[in-house]
Amino acid sequence: MSAVPATLEDLPEMAKCAVTINVNGTEHPMQVDAPDRLIDVLRDQLSLKSVKEGCSTGDCGICAVLVDGKLVNSCLMLAAQCDGRRVTTLEGLLEDPVMKRMQGSFIANNAAQCGFCTPAMLMASWDLARHSPEPSSEEIKVAISGILCRCTGYYQIIDSVRQGCEKGGR
Amino acid sequence: MSTLELYTPTDLNDALRFLEHDGGNSAVIASGTDLLPRMRRRQISPSILVDISAFTEDLRFIRRSDGTIRLGALTTVTDLLESPMFYGRLSMVREAARLFGAPQVRNVATVGGNVCSAASSEDLIPVLMALDAKLKLASARGERTVPLKDFIIGKRQTTMKPSEILVEVSFNEPEGNSWTAYEKLGRRNMLILAMVNEALILSLEDDLQTIHSARLALNRVSGKIPALAVETSDFLEGKRVTDQTIVQAQKVMESELSLTSDFRGSGEYRTEVAQVYLRRLVERCARHIGGSS
Amino acid sequence: MSEQVSQLLDSLRAKAERGELLYIGENVVRVDSLEKVLGSPVYTADLIPKGTVYAKLFHSSIPHGIIKRMDLGAARSHPGVLGVLTAKDIPGLNESSAVLPDRQLFSDPVVRSTGDILGAVIAETSPSATDAAARITVDYEELPAIFDPIKALEVGAVKVHEKGNIARQMKVRKGNVEEGFSRSDIVLEKTYRTQFQDAAPLEPEVGLAIPEDGGVRVIGSMQSPHHTQAAVAKVVKLPPEKVRVIQAVTGGAFGPKSDETPFDVCSTAALAAIKFRRPVYCGMDREDSMVMHTKRHPFVISHKTGVSKDGMLLADESRIVGDTGAYASLGVFVIVRATFHTVGAYEVPNVKADSYLVYTNNTYTGSLRGFGGPQAIFAIESQMEELARRLGMDPLEFRLRNMLVPGKKNATSAVMDASCGLPQCVEKVVNSSNYREKAQRYRNQTGNARRGLGIALLMHGNSLGPEGNDYGAVHVEVLSDGSVSVGSGLTEYGTGAISGMMQVASSVLGVPLSRFKLERPDTSKHRESGPTVASRVVVIGGNASKLAAEKLRSKIIPLAAEMLKIPPEHVAMADGVAFDRRTPSSTVQWDDIVAEAYRRGVSLREDGFFMAPAAPWDQEVGQGTPYVQYTWGALIVEVEVDMGTGCYRVVGAHTAYDVGKAVNPGGVLGQIYGGTVQGLGYAMMEELLHKDGVVVNPNLGDYYIPTSMDIPEEFKVFIVEVPGPLGPFGAKIIAEPPIVLPGAAVRNAVLNATGVSVDDLPVTPEKVLMGMKPEAAARSR
Repeated sequence: MSAVPATLEDLPEMAKCAVTINVNGTEHPMQVDAPDRLIDVLRDQLSLKSVKEGCSTGDCGICAVLVDGKLVNSCLMLAAQCDGRRVTTLEGLLEDPVMKRMQGSFIANNAAQCGFCTPAMLMASWDLARHSPEPSSEEIKVAISGILCRCTGYYQIIDSVRQGCEKGGR
Repeated sequence: MSTLELYTPTDLNDALRFLEHDGGNSAVIASGTDLLPRMRRRQISPSILVDISAFTEDLRFIRRSDGTIRLGALTTVTDLLESPMFYGRLSMVREAARLFGAPQVRNVATVGGNVCSAASSEDLIPVLMALDAKLKLASARGERTVPLKDFIIGKRQTTMKPSEILVEVSFNEPEGNSWTAYEKLGRRNMLILAMVNEALILSLEDDLQTIHSARLALNRVSGKIPALAVETSDFLEGKRVTDQTIVQAQKVMESELSLTSDFRGSGEYRTEVAQVYLRRLVERCARHIGGSS
Repeated sequence: MSEQVSQLLDSLRAKAERGELLYIGENVVRVDSLEKVLGSPVYTADLIPKGTVYAKLFHSSIPHGIIKRMDLGAARSHPGVLGVLTAKDIPGLNESSAVLPDRQLFSDPVVRSTGDILGAVIAETSPSATDAAARITVDYEELPAIFDPIKALEVGAVKVHEKGNIARQMKVRKGNVEEGFSRSDIVLEKTYRTQFQDAAPLEPEVGLAIPEDGGVRVIGSMQSPHHTQAAVAKVVKLPPEKVRVIQAVTGGAFGPKSDETPFDVCSTAALAAIKFRRPVYCGMDREDSMVMHTKRHPFVISHKTGVSKDGMLLADESRIVGDTGAYASLGVFVIVRATFHTVGAYEVPNVKADSYLVYTNNTYTGSLRGFGGPQAIFAIESQMEELARRLGMDPLEFRLRNMLVPGKKNATSAVMDASCGLPQCVEKVVNSSNYREKAQRYRNQTGNARRGLGIALLMHGNSLGPEGNDYGAVHVEVLSDGSVSVGSGLTEYGTGAISGMMQVASSVLGVPLSRFKLERPDTSKHRESGPTVASRVVVIGGNASKLAAEKLRSKIIPLAAEMLKIPPEHVAMADGVAFDRRTPSSTVQWDDIVAEAYRRGVSLREDGFFMAPAAPWDQEVGQGTPYVQYTWGALIVEVEVDMGTGCYRVVGAHTAYDVGKAVNPGGVLGQIYGGTVQGLGYAMMEELLHKDGVVVNPNLGDYYIPTSMDIPEEFKVFIVEVPGPLGPFGAKIIAEPPIVLPGAAVRNAVLNATGVSVDDLPVTPEKVLMGMKPEAAARSR
């Protein structure tokens, strides 16, 4: 960042922010507008289409990605606030063995119906699996409680997550 | 939002200097979970966002010293939930954090953001009010401390100046014959803005029967403003914990509350539930105090 | 021969014994599972090419009026805007309607609801289109508006449409209700109300149009590509063959995407694409969708029911009023289904029903999973519960006495045959829920947490029935690489039904589903198969798929026979291997048979066409057989109520459905879990509210659908299989039915726990507590 300006008049043209965001392991320097949300940058500038937009108000969770290892709604985070941060989407985990096991479990247990919530559910599940090798149904429900699914009624997703975790859950 | 600009200060002092001159057109943004949806709905239209989300080293902490708990303004709700600090007498903080929003929201929503929004939808405010929290507000000219109970003066209105940033929230740790409890009423179990949020800190005399003090706070007492239920709290002071006391306190509460109706539910229903919660909160606190003596 | 080969051939032989049932009843992995878990870019919004411009729809701000002036200047001159389209920019017909031609694409000059679309801003970016749209001002001459469908029926009521407020009327006349009432010991009159429900698919309605070849290619999220093609062609004034419509992978539908909203987004995108010669993306965000797309009809249903003192239903008279909002859309069929299901799963000798589909100035309602069933069943199942209480009879016993079983007649006087599996469904749930013991135990409860059980039974007429000719066309083609490509105008949007339909073909051919590929429904390649609604894919599409596969098999077998040097009648096929079923010492692989066919120029592409038998019924009296078969079901719900706050949770749900034949049990379970939870949302927490015609809560923060924390703690599901006459292998529909029962089951459970009758959905904690209030005041709070 350059010399500290004292007043608005001193500021250079602020409309574009220069940020560098690490996405799926690669550094991406880019110019973003102030209103650009993280989801816009991921989908439109980086073509990471697994990140879906369902409600635009942070109420459905299907835009969820990991930022510095924490699950967040990418529709409510400004890209300009992500300078120096590490963002992970489903595309970045396709070779990860824990994710592959989870995906296999989702397929075997019919957890993906229309598929629109599936990437977010997988991100939340992967995050849980990392911390909890044998989660209970209750822990799984809490982990996905911020992601809405309209098709499955959640049961087959919960079964999938349990089996997709290392020790097959309890 | 097309002419929106974002300023990323280098540090807190830089931010304060900026706000000294341009606070009027600006909004401070941390997580944005309250701010951004309101901007999208065109309820507010700041020209400049001042991003303080990176100041975690200075502003994200949970500390305890000399019987005081201090929370940095950028402490997230997940931090509260995962902290070993909020068990026992302070379990209501953890309970409010547990029922707050959903995991993705808890991971970014901040204590400071909750308090400054001053909205009746913010779960932490009644909890902090019951704990008689003090707010440290910083500006380019120095710092000042205000009690939370005096900070919120209207629906989404505070005494904070445009040049100020909330940096810390602190409260005394309850000790001795004290306990806290919290209840939330919503139309579903998660991802829900509460109709009623109610928090109580209760202290008993050494006889474990007489109420030494009670501080009861709700997300709405009159209109849509989070506040202490002063009359009900005052009524409880000095009374013995009996069924009759609770029934009378409920009556005081019924006349103290002036709750409006909206599409989520009627004022009448909210008032009814708030009274039911009062009993539960008092009884739960009393039980724990009796048990922990 | 080695041990291994011998075992393999034995296993194949065992499989071949199953014949065409080879893979039926197995949890075969869906053909489209992989792309979903990989997060592949297959939905409409993922397919936007560079250079696409964005269309933002704008809608009326008043519920009823005449547009006097639209000021588009500020919008037109906003940076990035290419133009603003309104009614005058439509070269063809300004129409966007499913059945009755009562709705325009862009309302002009009369607006009848705040969901009326007035036009679209076309701009280089979505934010600039949105900002520009906010700068449009409209002057209206406001007209009085009407929001209550009962009042809309009154003489002199505000007219929503010129021809009056009744969009459709229906009748059922079975027997003589007056005679039935005269013999009744108890006659009960009650009125029940249901709310607007929003389908809330996670992907809102979106369409992408790309100009090409003197016409336009449209890609979108929809249930009926051919209907969309016809609608778009009319608007842009092109012959349908110049409008190619392709259904992209669709993120949930539940009904609105079979109704007029896909016409709206696709016609708008196509109009703009042709005018500006750029690809155009017209996407609704969540708020747009919840304001502008179709909701579930709220109904007001009054029943007058007579019973004998020993608990036999003697007569039922109902008045059924459905609020279709400003436009009828598929409501013209919703009212039919609701009427035919007016006494649900029970035999009533005398039935009189009068139903009205009524216009109001609310935002409009149309197709939504269940299609009149949830409303009708809520009313009759609630009425059954109230009757049982007045009779002093156990609610289960009362239902058992009157429920439809083989030999009994339903409301349209159709005789139930041996394919009625309702008794089996009831038995399963009664046992699983431990109903009898618990009902007894819960009769006298004290304390703050009280439990109750609620029952509801389902009769659900299968397929389009009275809504139109029910046919399906599917082609099955074996490609030179050995893969099997299946194409149809029927669409997949989450249910897995298309995969189930393909599983039928897979089973007939003896080739695993993993070799199958689903073709994206494309009007330039696939025959029209009707809308993908009414859960008809497995039954109608499955039959068409079966026919095509059988034709293919009749070409494959002789070839295999030649290659194996055995007579054709001894050839068996399983897992992509052909062999002699008598002594499987030699085998020939599917790919080799296919290669041989190609070498000889044998065509390996077959069409299957299936038309359901006619479903004749008399329009005057609503009698006959409007449905060819029925799905049956039962649900028992156990709730625990917090008597201090009225809050309750579903601690147990036990449900059984007679699905005839479960082609893919995992898929069937998925529909039952998902539909039941969506029905629980309808029962407990969902309501799309209007205030003076304006939608109050058009977002997912204020409109509550169940989260993972809201589902029943225990949920036991039973699949019953009593084969029906219509579907492949006896299959019956399952995609819609599970949403129907929870409304009444929850309502009845709460009644049994608390004594509070909540007669209007949803059953909110407030209604429960305030229903108890006189007691609450007396009781120590």
